[in-house]
Amino acid sequence: MKLSGEFIFDGNRDEVWELLRDPDELAKALPGTQSLSKVSDNQYTGKMNVRLGPVSGMFSGKITISDEVPPESYTMQVDGRGAPGFVKGTGAIQLMEQPDNKTLMKYSGDVQIGGRLAGVGQRLVESVSKSMVKQGLETLNMALQAKHAPPPSATAPEARSPEPPPAYTPPSEMKFAMGVAKDLTTEFFSSTDRNVWLTVGVVLVSFALGYCFGQKRRGG
Amino acid sequence: MENLIEITVTVNGTEYHRTVEPRMLLSDFLRHELNLTGTHVGCEHGVCGSCTILFDGDPVRSCLMFAVQANGHTLETVEGLGTPDAMHPLQNAFREKHALQCGFCTPGFLMSLKPFLEQNPNPSRDEIREALSGNLCRCTGYENMVDAVALAAEEMRNG
Amino acid sequence: MTAKYVGQPVKRNEDPRLLTGQALFVDDVHLPDMLHAAFLRSDYAHARILSIDTTAAKEMPGVVAVYTAEDLGDFWQPSPMIVQPPPTLEDIVFNPRPQIPLAKDMVRHIGDPVAVVIAESRYIAEDAAEQIWVDYEPLEVVTDIEKALEPDSPLVYEDLGTNLASHVRQEKGNYAAAAKKADLIIKRRMVIDRGAAAAMENRGIVVDWDAKTQHMTMWNTTQAPIPIRNGLAATLGLSEHQVRVIAPFVGGGFGPKIMLLQPEEVLLPWAAMRLCRPIKWIEDRRENFLGTTQERGQIHAVEAAFSKDGKILGLKDIFLHDTGAYNPYGLTIPLNTQTHSMGVYDVPNFYTEFKVVFTNKMIVTPVRGAGRPQGIFLVERMMDLAAKELGIDPVEIRRRNLIPADAFPVHHSIIGQDFIEAIYDSGNFQPLVEKARLLIGYDKFVTEEQPKLRAAGKHIGIGLAPFVESTGVGPYEGARITVESSGKVNLVTGVGTQGQSHFTSFAQIAAEQLGVAVQDVEVTTGDTDQFHWGTGTFASRGAVVAGNAIFAAAKRVRAKILAKASEVLDAPEEELELKDGAIRIADIPEKSISLGELAMLANPLRGAVEPGTEPGLEATEYFGPKYGTTASGVAAMIVEVDPDTMLIDIKKFVIAHDCGTVINPMVVDGQIHGGVSMGIGHSFYEQLIYDENGQLLNASFMDYLVPRSTDMPPSIEIAHQETKSPLNPMGSKGVGEAGAIPIPAVLAQALENALNIDGLELLEMPLSPGRLFELAQAAKNRD
Repeated sequence: MKLSGEFIFDGNRDEVWELLRDPDELAKALPGTQSLSKVSDNQYTGKMNVRLGPVSGMFSGKITISDEVPPESYTMQVDGRGAPGFVKGTGAIQLMEQPDNKTLMKYSGDVQIGGRLAGVGQRLVESVSKSMVKQGLETLNMALQAKHAPPPSATAPEARSPEPPPAYTPPSEMKFAMGVAKDLTTEFFSSTDRNVWLTVGVVLVSFALGYCFGQKRRGG
Repeated sequence: MENLIEITVTVNGTEYHRTVEPRMLLSDFLRHELNLTGTHVGCEHGVCGSCTILFDGDPVRSCLMFAVQANGHTLETVEGLGTPDAMHPLQNAFREKHALQCGFCTPGFLMSLKPFLEQNPNPSRDEIREALSGNLCRCTGYENMVDAVALAAEEMRNG
Repeated sequence: MTAKYVGQPVKRNEDPRLLTGQALFVDDVHLPDMLHAAFLRSDYAHARILSIDTTAAKEMPGVVAVYTAEDLGDFWQPSPMIVQPPPTLEDIVFNPRPQIPLAKDMVRHIGDPVAVVIAESRYIAEDAAEQIWVDYEPLEVVTDIEKALEPDSPLVYEDLGTNLASHVRQEKGNYAAAAKKADLIIKRRMVIDRGAAAAMENRGIVVDWDAKTQHMTMWNTTQAPIPIRNGLAATLGLSEHQVRVIAPFVGGGFGPKIMLLQPEEVLLPWAAMRLCRPIKWIEDRRENFLGTTQERGQIHAVEAAFSKDGKILGLKDIFLHDTGAYNPYGLTIPLNTQTHSMGVYDVPNFYTEFKVVFTNKMIVTPVRGAGRPQGIFLVERMMDLAAKELGIDPVEIRRRNLIPADAFPVHHSIIGQDFIEAIYDSGNFQPLVEKARLLIGYDKFVTEEQPKLRAAGKHIGIGLAPFVESTGVGPYEGARITVESSGKVNLVTGVGTQGQSHFTSFAQIAAEQLGVAVQDVEVTTGDTDQFHWGTGTFASRGAVVAGNAIFAAAKRVRAKILAKASEVLDAPEEELELKDGAIRIADIPEKSISLGELAMLANPLRGAVEPGTEPGLEATEYFGPKYGTTASGVAAMIVEVDPDTMLIDIKKFVIAHDCGTVINPMVVDGQIHGGVSMGIGHSFYEQLIYDENGQLLNASFMDYLVPRSTDMPPSIEIAHQETKSPLNPMGSKGVGEAGAIPIPAVLAQALENALNIDGLELLEMPLSPGRLFELAQAAKNRD
C-alpha cells in the first residue's frame, strides 16, 4: 500500500522537527501507544494497541531513522509485529518552511502488511491508515499550537489567533476510533477529499503498526 | 476462571441456569454448554447465517453475541422448531422440495425463515429470495429453497 | 413385481435428522475430558524460521501442551504423496513435495502451520497461540506462475533449484501437421485464477485414544475415511484395526476434504496418544481460507486450427498450473484439464503440454470441477472466436464439430487422472445441444427478442456451451448389505457423504432389489469399523462406483433370499416375489414369510447347516470400472449487464444433462443446482486475491463473496437425457461436479454477446464487475 500526502503545521520547521523526534509527544498522538522510547539516536521501539473494526491486538515494533538531514528530511523504516500480523514500511518525510511561521510536511511511504491484518482488515486498511495519519498529524499540530498559546490568564486582545487556541488533550482510544469512523464515512461519501489526509512520518508508520484487527473470534 | 457470571436463559421453553465466562459466545454456549448442537457455526463473523437463532422472537446471529447478553431472554433454536416425528411446516417443505443437501446451513435458514413467514404469510418469489439472501448455502444454489418456502407458506396459510 | 425405486424422486431418508438439528457433525462430538487445539499459522508467505519461543504460551493457565516441529522428534516426517503421477506417462518431470506436519525451518505459504497449542478450551488455546513468538527471516516471495519459472525467481524449494514441480507433454495425432492445412489459426492467452471450495462446514477433527483398549477413534470431516485410517495406522505405528475413522454428517466437501494426512490430521492423533485425552480441533473460517486447499490457477497459451467451414482440425495448449507450496495431490488437476480440453468435439489432433509450478501460496488440490472447467473454457472460447472469425453462428459451429453418436467409445490417446487413456465411453451430444437450444429459446432470442431489447438500450446476451465430465473413475468401492431380523436392511459402504443424498439414493438401489421400502434401508457411510475397503468420495464417483457395488451386493442378497425362501416355502424361485418386506408365492399370496423371519431362519442358533452355508442374508460386493464414464451436458444462459456498474443479472438459465441412468432425479437436479451456483461464484463473484507478497487479501466471507440467493438466476431449468454407460451394470454416470464445469465458458460467451463491444474478448476467469469494466474500457479504447 502506498501512502503519500502533505500537512501544514502551525509552527516553524525546527519546532516541527523537534516534535517529530520526541517520543513522548508522538506517543500522545498515537492512541493505544503503551510505550515508545528512543533506544538510540536513530532508533525507537514501542508497543501499541490498536483496535479497528473486527481486528485488534498488541504490536511491538521498531522504527529506524536514516538519511537524516535536520531539519529538512529523513527516511524511516518501520518493522512491527504482533498476534494480528505484521507491518513493514518505509517512509520519506520532508519538511519545508512556509510563510507565516508554518511548515509543510510532505510524506510518501510504502507499507506492507501481513497476516490477519491483511486477510481480514485489507478492505479497511487504506482508509483507516489515512484517517489515523490525519488524526495523528492533527494531534501533533494541536500540541504545537498549545505550546504557542499564551498562558490562560494572559488573554491579550492582540493575540495572533482570533479564536482561543484549542485546549490540547491527547485523544482517548475511543475518541480516536470515533474519529476514524467519521473519516471513513466522509471518505465513503466524498471521494474528492481523498488526498487531503495523509500520512507518514513517525506517525504514519507507527499507525501502520496498529492496523491490526484481532479477529478474536472467541474473545480474549 | 475469574469473573464467571451467572445467567438464566430460556431456550425452547426450558429454563437453564449456568455460570459462564463473559467472553463465551452465545453460539458456543448453546452448542457446548446446553448441548443444543443443531445451531451450527460456519464463519464466526456473522456472514453465513448458519448460527441464526431466535432471540425474543427475532432472528440473530448467535456467533455475534455473548452468552451473557442472553441473560433473562428467551431463545429458540432449531431443536425447538420441530422433531423428526413432528416437523414444522417449513421443515416438511424443505424435505418435500429437496431444499437441503449437506444440511449444515439448514438450521440457520429455518430460523431466519420462521419469523419471515410469520410476518409475510404470502410472500412473492422475489420476497422469498430476498429473505434467503441473508444466509449462505453452498450446496443447493437456493433454487429449491425458494420452492420450499413458497410451499411452507401455502401450508401454513391453509393451517 | 418389485416396486420401482430407481428413477424416482424419493424424499430423503436423512432429512428429518438434518432438519431438526439431530444429525451428528464432527463439532457436535463431545467427549469427557476433551482438550481443544488451536494452530499457529504463518503470517509470512515465505520465511525462514530462526527460532520459536513457546514459553509464555506454555505458562498460561489451562494450556496442556504446545508443540513445534522440534517437539515431534522422529515423528516429524513428510506425509506420503496422496496421488502419484500416472506410471503410464512417459518422459515426465515430477518433483514430489508432500505436506509436512509442522513447518520446521521454513514456511512456504501464509497459513503454513508452525505450532499447535492443546488446552482445556478453545478460547485458551487461541489465546496461547497468540503468545507464541516466532522469529522469522522473511524471504523473497513468488506468487506469479510465469515469473516463478524465470531464472532469477525466488525459489520455494532451494534444494530443487527450480520452481518447476512437473512437466508433461502429450499428443493425439499431429497438431503441427494439422495446422499446416488450416484456413484459420487462432492463438490466445487465457488466465484462470483461484477460488475456494468454501464448504459451509469448516474442517474438523475429534480424536480419542483409549490407552486401555489401545484403540483410536477419530471423527473427521473427510471425504476419504478409509485411506485416512490406513495412513494414520501406518504413521502412528498401529495396526489398521486399532484405528477407527468416522466421517459422520459432513457439511459439504467439494474437493478439499479428500485431502489426507494433512498436518492437523497427523498431529492431533499423535498428541492424543501422548496426552491420553481426547482432542478436538475445529477450523475457523479464516483458517479455512488459509489452511484448506484451493484450486483453479492456470495460464494457457491456446492455439486452434480451423478449416474455413468451421471444422476444428487441431488444438494446441501449453499451460502453467499453480500447485501452491506443496504438490501432494500429484497431477490430477492438470491431467483433468488435458483430458477435458477437447470437450464434446471431434478434435483429431491435440498437442497438450503443462508445467506445474510451485508458488508461495496455499496448496492446490481439486475443487468441484477439478481442472475440467479450465479445459472446457479454453475449447469453448476457441469455438466462439472461430465462429466470429468465420461468420458462423456459435451454435452452428458447435454442431459441426460434435462427436457423432456412433463414434463411441472415443479414444483420445491422452493419459488422464486415473492413469489410463481418456476414453469417452458413450454419449449423444447432438440432441443435448438441441434440447438446450430449445429450452433457452435460442433462435427466437437471437432473431426477435435481442434486437428489440438492444434497440431499447439493454445490454443482454446469450451463450450456449456444451461440456463433458469424466466421472465415476476407479479404482473401486464396495458395499455390504444385510437383512436384519427386524426385516430392515442394513447397507454399509466405505465412501463418505457430504450432502450427496447417499442415505437415499443408495437405499433406493437396494430397496428395489429387495422389495422393501426405501425408509427401511439404513445406510451407513464413512465408518471404517463398518466397512474398511474403499477410497473415497471424489470425481463424481459415489453413485457410479459405490452405487454399482451396492447394486451387485443387493442382487446377491436377493438371490440368497430367493434360495432360502424357496426352501422354506417349498416353492421354486421363479414363483416367488419380493414385495413389502416379505417373500410370497406369486399365485398364493397368503403363503409368505417376512424378510425378518427369513433372516432369522438363515442364521440358526442350533442345529446343523449344509457345509459351505454362509450365515444370514448378507452379501459384500465390489465394483471397479474399467475406466471412467463420460457424463455430458449443455448449459445456456441469457444475461443482462448494466454497462455502468457491470453488475450482471442472469435472466434465464437452462441445462440439458446426461448422466446415464438417473437414480433419483430430485437429487440429480439438486446436484446440478449446487454446481451451477458454485460455477457462477467462481466465474463472477469469488476470487482468492493474493498480493505480491503472498498475503491472501480476502480471507473472510465479508470480502470473499459466495453467491447468495439473489445472485442466482430466477430458475434453473434442467432437461435430462439418459445415455447409459456401457461400463457399469446400472448404466450410471456421475453428476456431482457437472453444474460447475460449463459456467465460465457460457458466462464469458453470454457477457461478450451482451456487451457487444468490438474487440472485447473475455479470456479470463473469474471476472467481477470491476474487471469487466476494465476489459470493456480497454476494448473500447483500442477502437
